[in-house]
Amino acid sequence: MSLTHKRLASTAAKLKLAKKTAISTSHLKAFPPPEASSSQFFNPKTWATLQPPPPSSLSAFAHRIGLGQVILSPSSPPSASASAPTGTALLQQALTHPSFVPLFQKHYPNEPLPLTNANLNTVGNGLMGLFAAEWLNAAYPHLPTRVLKAAVSAYVGPVSCANVAKEWGVVPLLRWNRTPSTPLRPAVLHTDALSSVPRALTALIYTHRSLPTARKFVHNFFLSRDVDLRGMIKFRDPKKALSETVARFGRERPVSRLLRETGRFSNSPIFVVGIYSGSDLLGEGFGSSLKMAEFRAAEDSLHRLYLTRTPSHLLSLPTTTFSTSRPSMLDAIPASQSVGQGEGGEGVYVPGELGVTEVLYGSSERSGVKVVGRPVGRGFVDGVEESGEGELEVEGSLS
Amino acid sequence: MGTRIAAATKPILRARLRSTPANGHVSFVPQIRKLVFEYCEKWPSSANTRTYLLQHVENLAKANPHVEVVVLQRNMREPIVRGFYLNDRDKVISLKESEVNQIQQKVQLLLDSSGAKIKSLKRRPVESTTEATRGIWSGFHTAEPFKI
Repeated sequence: MSLTHKRLASTAAKLKLAKKTAISTSHLKAFPPPEASSSQFFNPKTWATLQPPPPSSLSAFAHRIGLGQVILSPSSPPSASASAPTGTALLQQALTHPSFVPLFQKHYPNEPLPLTNANLNTVGNGLMGLFAAEWLNAAYPHLPTRVLKAAVSAYVGPVSCANVAKEWGVVPLLRWNRTPSTPLRPAVLHTDALSSVPRALTALIYTHRSLPTARKFVHNFFLSRDVDLRGMIKFRDPKKALSETVARFGRERPVSRLLRETGRFSNSPIFVVGIYSGSDLLGEGFGSSLKMAEFRAAEDSLHRLYLTRTPSHLLSLPTTTFSTSRPSMLDAIPASQSVGQGEGGEGVYVPGELGVTEVLYGSSERSGVKVVGRPVGRGFVDGVEESGEGELEVEGSLS
Repeated sequence: MGTRIAAATKPILRARLRSTPANGHVSFVPQIRKLVFEYCEKWPSSANTRTYLLQHVENLAKANPHVEVVVLQRNMREPIVRGFYLNDRDKVISLKESEVNQIQQKVQLLLDSSGAKIKSLKRRPVESTTEATRGIWSGFHTAEPFKI
């Protein structure tokens, strides 16, 4: 890019940034701010980040995500004290990250400290993990454990929470401050601050309404999004895994048969291989070589097993047993009550089918099978524990 | 010490795990966040806009609580309505020669829009996140094998 182009691009970027940080001033106590004329070290950008967003934008945000009645109505939970915030002040709390407080204190030392979403973030994170895990377990009963954990991260993890917050239009409303990492605590980046907002809102809905309502919120905005589960299930040796899985289910030994082929000995052959257990077709795969087609067929069979999905009308979630009234520490669910009432007829909770656990091959260090990424031969306990890693390629620090 | 073998496939990093959006599949988030009406107090080109602001804008704001409605007096300029969207774009419509019900139509246009840039449908190829809705045809999976 030439110098002229670079200058134009950077100017355009600066203007765009200026447009983003423009704030409305009608709700401020004093404008222009008195410190602008008095002190010579006035930084308009810092001043702009310190001002709260206008109440109209907070109210519009609440209605945009369908929480107009929940947050802005004057009712409050039974455990709340008289000084607890309500309405837009409550929403303000959910939109304020704890990193904002030191910056605020530095510039306004005499003002009361703003309330932050630190506690709400923790509660909401736990709730979201609970809802995602129970739904995934009920919807995909045979999903391998590490894949289930990865799927929970994909659905309600920090990146997804930050993306959902951006799609809601939280960026101009969020109050935060970028802090570099220190030896005692990690850095606070924009995604960290953004991801705290949906969690805080989940916790708010839980305290102001009920757990089933919070669950509905998470299902609507997070569990309805698309995650590619198929891409998370990978195999080093799918044929071996399939033969052991079929043996576990007590079926006939898998046999691969060539279903169709074309172009053998040409430069672009195609083979379609099916793997049969007896007369049941388990899976089909294509490839430009017989081995590749067989590999894909074994992978396909295992995917069809692991990704079997419970139909939504047969889905039963454990949290349907929670009461639909506001949560209170003094409520004890009586032993006879196991019905979630008032939720459109949820009915009695019936536990779903327990899926068969995934086959873990290379089940002890004595077999001599090397496992991925973990040192082998450190002792009996380690060998047993690490036996499962050989099959699934979900890496990262998921364990 | 033990031995490690290389992973057979690319590792999936936890920090990269994410979901893709599906606005409208279950819940819908309207894309407009703010409407700004700019008008002049004196000029006759703003007369219809002033009528609209006196009679209809309050009902509009009540009917659309997800939108911030701002009325801005800008003297000696033509009247406009500006819509701000969640993708950081804005759309501006001039209300200079509009009757009051035409102003309502323009405002409704802004309320319904997603803020995306209007691109011609003529020469764009299909854009999709999925391969196909009905599956991709395969000559190997027909009742009778396909013969060229």
